[in-house]
Formats: sequence, C-alpha cells, structure tokens
Amino acid sequence: MGREVSESCVEGLMMEVVSAYSSRLYPAKPDLAARRIEAIGFQVGHQLSERYTMERPRFSDHLEAIKFICKDFWSELFKKQIDNLKTNHRGTFVLQDNRFRWLTRISIDPSTESTDESTPDNNAAQATNMHLYFPCGIIRGALTNLGIPCAVSPDISNLPACSFVVRIKA
Amino acid sequence: MIVCVAVVGNQVRSDRPRPLRGGAQNNPVYLQSFTEADDALKLHHIVHCSLDVIDERVNNPKRSGPTLNETFLGLLYPTENYKVYGYLTNTKVKFIMVTTDLDVKDADVRNLKVILQNHYKYVSVLVQIPTYIMFFRRFHAAYVDAVSNPFHVPGKKITSKSFAERVSVIVKSFGSTAT
Repeated sequence: MGREVSESCVEGLMMEVVSAYSSRLYPAKPDLAARRIEAIGFQVGHQLSERYTMERPRFSDHLEAIKFICKDFWSELFKKQIDNLKTNHRGTFVLQDNRFRWLTRISIDPSTESTDESTPDNNAAQATNMHLYFPCGIIRGALTNLGIPCAVSPDISNLPACSFVVRIKA
Repeated sequence: MIVCVAVVGNQVRSDRPRPLRGGAQNNPVYLQSFTEADDALKLHHIVHCSLDVIDERVNNPKRSGPTLNETFLGLLYPTENYKVYGYLTNTKVKFIMVTTDLDVKDADVRNLKVILQNHYKYVSVLVQIPTYIMFFRRFHAAYVDAVSNPFHVPGKKITSKSFAERVSVIVKSFGSTAT
C-alpha cells in the first residue's frame, strides 16, 4: 500500500538534504552534519528492514544477513545487487557497488574551489563523502534491526565504484 | 475467539543491565485485549510467561528440529482456558495471540491443506493456508505499516489509532471465518 514517487524526486531530496545540512544548518561542522545525515539514514534502514524481511525465514548467521543486504535489500532500494562482497572472516565486510545509483549524477568542478586552502581534490572527496553518509546509515540501521550492531563507513577510492566497509561490533 | 494480541519488541535499553544470555530485551510495544471481562492482568501475565517459551524454542536448536527458522512458532503453551500462539519475525519482534478455541488441532494450524476439486472437465487444486498463519501475516503487515511511520520511535509503544483499528478488523474477520 502507499503511493509511489519518481526516482528523480528521491535524488533531488538527497541533494537538498546534503546541501542543507552541510551549508545551512551546520556550516562549519561537517562531522556533525555527517552524523545527523547518518542518523536519518539509520532510522530509514531500521524501518525498511522490517518491511523487506516480512515473508522470509530467519537468518541463521551474520553472513546470511549480509547476503540479504547485498541481494534483496539492495535490489529493492537501487534495482540492482551489490557487485562484490569481500570479507576477512573476522567481522569486516566490504560491499562494493560498481555504479552506485545516487552518485551517477555528481560531477565535481575543481575550478570553483579556489578560495579554500585545502586542495580541490580534498573538497571534492569530502563533498562526495557527504552524499554517502545516508546510504551508510541505511545499511547500519538495517543490520542493527537484524540484531547485528556494526559501524559502516564509505570508501570512494575509485569512482564511480564505491564501497561500504561494515565492521561488526563484537 | 481471540481474547488478546500483543507485540513485544527487540530493543536493547541502555539504562538496563545487559541480559545474561546476550539476547534482546523484551519491551512491550502493543497489547490489546478483546474481551469485556476484567481479567486484563491475567492476560498480561500469560503474555509475559509465553515470552520465556519463545526464548527457549529459539535458543534450543535440538528440540525445534526442522522448524528452527520459520516465523510461525505454533502453539506455545496451553493453559486451562487459553491457548497461546507465537510468531517471531526476522527482526526478533514477537507477536503473541491468546485464544479460547480449545478444539483446534496443532496439525491443522501448521500444515497447508490441499483440496482437489473435480469439475466437469478439469480438476482444480486449492491450497488452503491455515487461518492462524493468515492472521499473523495480516498482523505483521499492519505492524510493518505502523512502524514505518516516521514519527514512531522504535522501542516505544505504538500509539497509532489506525493500527488499532486495523488490528481489531483483522481480529473480527478471523473470528468470523474460523470454525
């Protein structure tokens, strides 16, 4: 039940959330803005995991829950699955998406960041990172609701592929 | 006839000491009784006791056998007047239903019934899902919709009136279709 909105509305909303939190609400405190955005994502992931695990039998271990996130959860959210899953079998998982849907529209123009003392590369990286805190929160919220407390951080060493590093708290 | 339904959550509260078995704490999220009698306290007590049975079923893989990971847990325990059924979701949220139907067999409750009907030129196969499982599925759908409310705080009680109305509709329709 419920109505649907077009995908461009969701992308527009994401852009505005990031821009509002970084430049208007917490202009000089990017860490605080990132934490607030991640907290919003946490609640969304919490609620979405309830909805998407409805008809399934229970997961027997952590790996099954992570595989659920990579396959069914990700395809419900982004219409594709996670492309690569790596683990060190000691509680760390790396989820790699080769073409993350919400980042496909981002283009970085280094020439505009001339007044800052930090390098344009750094600013571009920070701006892109801001957009990834929301999906990190979604993953963290979904895993926490499945009983797996964890910490999720983004990794954009090679765009357009982005990775999410999930560290399970013991 | 269903006399009581309850939803018990999975939240870990930071102010309480951690449980010894490492499992989730049981915080009541919703409790509604559908009988006019004054024994609401007894129903609360029954729901509370059945939580222990659920924990035992989940943490004891040898005894549960092939139904270890199913959501519908079946009959938890019968008291002298009531039967208590449980359902455990993937996110460790427990739904509990207390009913006074004392003559329903456990096999009927758990298994699908396949009915073959012979028409003139073809045979139709009807698969009947037991009414209890249908009840819990509808209840689960209503719960998911109530929890998706952005103003609902996870762990607190559900205060949505539309959820209460949906639950009473489900309970009433269950009472009219079940024998």
